Amino acid sequence: MNRFLTVAAVALAVPPVSAEGDPTISFTNDVLPVITKAGCVAGACHAKSDGQNGFQLSIFSFDPDSDYREIVFDAKGRRIFPASPDHSLILLKATNQIPHEGEKRFEVDSESYRVIRQWIAEGAPRTIPNETEPTGITIDPPALSFKKGETRPIKVTVAYSDGTKRDVTDLCEFTSNDAAFATVDHHGKITAGEVPGENSVIVRYVDQVAAVRVVIPPDQLLPESEYTALKANNKIDEFAYARFRELGLFPSAPCTDSEFIRRATLDAIGRIPTVEETKRFLESKAPDKRAKLVDTLLSEENRFDYANYWATKWGDLLRPNTQRVGVKPVYLLDDWIRRKFQVNTPWNEFVTELLSASGSTHRYGPVAVIRDKREPADMAEFISQIFLGVRLNCAKCHHHPSEKWSQDDYYSMAAFFGSMKRKGQGISAPISGEPEFWWFEPGGTVKHPVSEAVMKPRAPDGTEYGDTGDRDPRSLLAEWITKPENPYFARAMVNRIWAELLGKGLVDPVDDFRESNPAVNQPLLDWLAKDFVEHGYDQKHTIATILKSRLYQQSSTPNEHNATDTRNFSRSYRRRLPAEVLLDTLSTITGDPEKLQGLPNDSPAMQQWNHLLPNDFLDAFGRPNSSAAPPLERDPGGSVVQALHLMNSKVLQKKFAGENPWVSELEKLSPEESVGQIYLRLFSRSPADDEKRIALNHLGTEATAPREKIENLIWSLVNSAEFVLNH
Amino acid sequence: MSKLRSLLNCEGLGRRDFIQTGLGALGGLGLSDMLKLKAQAGAKGSDTRCIFVWLDGGPSHYETFDPKPDAPSEIRGEFGTVPTTVPGVHFCDKFPKLAKTFDKFTVIRSIAHNQNNHGAGNHYLMTGRPTPVPVGCGAYVTFHPSIGSVVSKNREVKHGLPAYVSAPRMSRSGGPNFLGAQHAPFVIGDDPNKKSFRVRDVSLPTEIEDGRAKSRVELRQSLDQLRRITDTAAEDPAVDFDDYYASAFDLITSTEAQEAFDISKEPEKVRETYGRNDFGQRLLMARRLTEVGVPFVTVYNGGWDDHRGLFDNYKKTKAERVDTGVSALISDLAERGSLDNTMVILLGEFGRTPKINKDAGRDHWSFAMSVLMAGAGIPGGQIVGATDVKGYYANENIYAPEDFAASIYTKMGIDHQQTLHDASGRPIQLVNNGKLIKELFA
Repeated sequence: MNRFLTVAAVALAVPPVSAEGDPTISFTNDVLPVITKAGCVAGACHAKSDGQNGFQLSIFSFDPDSDYREIVFDAKGRRIFPASPDHSLILLKATNQIPHEGEKRFEVDSESYRVIRQWIAEGAPRTIPNETEPTGITIDPPALSFKKGETRPIKVTVAYSDGTKRDVTDLCEFTSNDAAFATVDHHGKITAGEVPGENSVIVRYVDQVAAVRVVIPPDQLLPESEYTALKANNKIDEFAYARFRELGLFPSAPCTDSEFIRRATLDAIGRIPTVEETKRFLESKAPDKRAKLVDTLLSEENRFDYANYWATKWGDLLRPNTQRVGVKPVYLLDDWIRRKFQVNTPWNEFVTELLSASGSTHRYGPVAVIRDKREPADMAEFISQIFLGVRLNCAKCHHHPSEKWSQDDYYSMAAFFGSMKRKGQGISAPISGEPEFWWFEPGGTVKHPVSEAVMKPRAPDGTEYGDTGDRDPRSLLAEWITKPENPYFARAMVNRIWAELLGKGLVDPVDDFRESNPAVNQPLLDWLAKDFVEHGYDQKHTIATILKSRLYQQSSTPNEHNATDTRNFSRSYRRRLPAEVLLDTLSTITGDPEKLQGLPNDSPAMQQWNHLLPNDFLDAFGRPNSSAAPPLERDPGGSVVQALHLMNSKVLQKKFAGENPWVSELEKLSPEESVGQIYLRLFSRSPADDEKRIALNHLGTEATAPREKIENLIWSLVNSAEFVLNH
Repeated sequence: MSKLRSLLNCEGLGRRDFIQTGLGALGGLGLSDMLKLKAQAGAKGSDTRCIFVWLDGGPSHYETFDPKPDAPSEIRGEFGTVPTTVPGVHFCDKFPKLAKTFDKFTVIRSIAHNQNNHGAGNHYLMTGRPTPVPVGCGAYVTFHPSIGSVVSKNREVKHGLPAYVSAPRMSRSGGPNFLGAQHAPFVIGDDPNKKSFRVRDVSLPTEIEDGRAKSRVELRQSLDQLRRITDTAAEDPAVDFDDYYASAFDLITSTEAQEAFDISKEPEKVRETYGRNDFGQRLLMARRLTEVGVPFVTVYNGGWDDHRGLFDNYKKTKAERVDTGVSALISDLAERGSLDNTMVILLGEFGRTPKINKDAGRDHWSFAMSVLMAGAGIPGGQIVGATDVKGYYANENIYAPEDFAASIYTKMGIDHQQTLHDASGRPIQLVNNGKLIKELFA
């Protein structure tokens, strides 16, 4: 399809003043590229929502007709002066001859100046005779291999509808996907950084987007013999090692059993292992004990921990704000999500049910989602981002700046939700107390906001559905999404699972799949997705496969080849425990459950279903902003407030120094046994010799240690990086 | 440090580029971008602090700084006026102490906007940006970082002190939005008028005697043995963890910071002048915090949404407390020589309707409101703008919340024209087309 916004030829009453016959400068093909390149239509300048000082252009020139009106007619036509082109305001401002807040954009003797000047001199026509349309841009070469620090140019050519071509390199904007990896200047000269890898530079010519692949091979590869000794637990390792070979990376040593049980238990079910679980695992001599542990973690016996942990993650993505859609719908949705994880509902079923929800918001949880994302466009955007990993939202108002998506794609996707009817109270923040009913009724339409064409349902890169008749188009979308050959869904889902377990996605951010944001290991992602589909979209199967890989079981301590690798998973990346996990862990070890509003007494924080319910601890440790709309983001970082809270807060002080049955048990043990128990409980390991010495030195030499000193020891270890981080 | 993801935005700059630029790697940045970054860098050097007193619900402009004694009685209300230090300028007679302090502050009578409910009004004044979609009256929304959060991002603070404090709670829309949790306000919830007052978390628990606390801290230090990956390119969160604990200890052990938190160090006489109530003592606390370098403190005071019984309500304690507390704060700052680098701002989200309603109240009215601003070079005894004779509309030197925000940022050395990037990498103007309120820079 034509990804260009079709430009309707408009007859305009500009007097022809060109003496040399027909005008030659095209507004669309010559003037707009110059204006774009000069930065006039940057999001922060004349293209922001109400323009800049009364002069408003469309972002990325996506609406040339409007831009033309703005330049030629608006402000009483004073922006151009055909009788004396050099006195046109647009030229005087852009060259800063008249003070311009945006300063000088180009010189008087530049090509940019000449193009605009001549266009004005020719009468500033909207179109010229035989005007051609750009049909696409090509980059030469399409991929480049660099030495570290090397600079090389690229050339961009635009092809027109009449078959002609033109070098437009100097009219393009260039953006590096990761400026630490490679930089690019205004003329398309790319300079490689110092870290080997692959990424993209995005090229934008007016509203055409393409990407050039930049490869920086390592200075030296490691000898093949280094890799042959590596053990591969499953396919994941084979794909990972293949990539490491190419990048000259070498994986860290395997983690210890202690590190593994703590890490895997945290990642699979969101808690630290008990002393008994740890002991049993550490003492086992079975060669496959890690695999067995993974199976146990994902078995029925842990299904509630599993469900609460994963539902907390998915709650952030799906659960609307209670102040918007009401308390009961949100509670029901949350409950629905938890039940789905308890029985490990396959993801194809999960999505289908969520997508086809109808009925009362006060009876059926999934209806809350459509009550929240009320407009077809909102729902389209949301479903694409969450389940396809495609961010269409930019294309709502303008062509996506770094992808091929246009408003056509956006509103075609919205058309799947165009036939929904609703009855009931609607939204009346802060409390939408009354129920609302949603159902499908044939005949609704979604229109393109500029062309006003009625859109036919079509998913991004999917087939267009014609008249859907009595069929709910949402079910067609669900069918399309859950087809085994769907290019997005399985990849997006395994990528999300991967990111939860390893700290980052293979594609990162997890919901931003695009040509210009490639996966760090595409064959691995493809295989995981295929395996996920072949195993019936079973999340537990994929989690198990990842946890059993040698890759997941690496140490977080780097070796000499991978300390700077933060992207290719050649070592385990440390992460702070999420707010709820940390709080529940502290409540469990101190035997003092947190009192949480909106939940029965003794409930874990992992059952929180509403971020509005007050809790200082959860706020300090970065739960999502309670007043934002889903999908919600979390801040995974640390802060001074967290350190202060963990050390000094009254609530935690009470937990440590309260009844604490654990400390009562420890009081009965010898100091040495006590230290051993504390290390096992908090870190799943025994203390090292010097740690034991320091700890015993503190606990004293009596037969049993004083309660207060035991509390001190626990407090000290809780306030350490080894406790706060998953490592 | 939260790890910023490399993202593209509609302008073509990744968020990472901004960090890179900070390090001197200038990629494709234009001159104006560079100048803006320079201006931002300059902000770190600015010393101006701000105490932002928020009267939530919307105080009446008639019954504060813009009385209309000549209006018909259904508009005028039952209160009289009081002369100020400037001949011809009168305030509502519920604010006699502020009237006597008028030589030290400006009142803007002509801020006007169109966000006539609490949710949207709070957002507009607290962030300098209207909500992009209509929101409900009771909504607590955030679409843009609050002024306090932006200050936090732009200012460095010593002694591990927080850059943005809010008491006794975060105001609506007072959060950091996409700037991230480290720029959320540090909330001091306790009532400083109580003997038991403590700023939470900033000192080792009092239940623990000093010796024990010290030995715990030492024990912690010697037992935190997870190996740190010292190469900064490795982005080890354990290294950040150490930085945060170091700052936390700075705060805990800084005599200056701890003294600032300890309001009992303040002479009883001074405490009396602010009013021995929670609000007055919070203002005093704010003065103590700004004096040790906290750049932005919000003092929240709820209960100004007087749809009924407005006059009775103002006769109770709230007007008197604001009159006493804010006048004491301004005078105290002036006497201590701190007013030159400390702004005091007093406002709510809008004014109130001209016609008194059947319940002897006034309803929401965003077309005119009065704002008090003092310090940091803002002239004293100045009235900016005016409303019409009946107080319906601002009709002289009308300013928008954008202008208000741009002026605060400028006073604090922050470039209000800078571009921020939201979570999706989209460029967003800090303030959209804000004009400086020139009378504040006279």
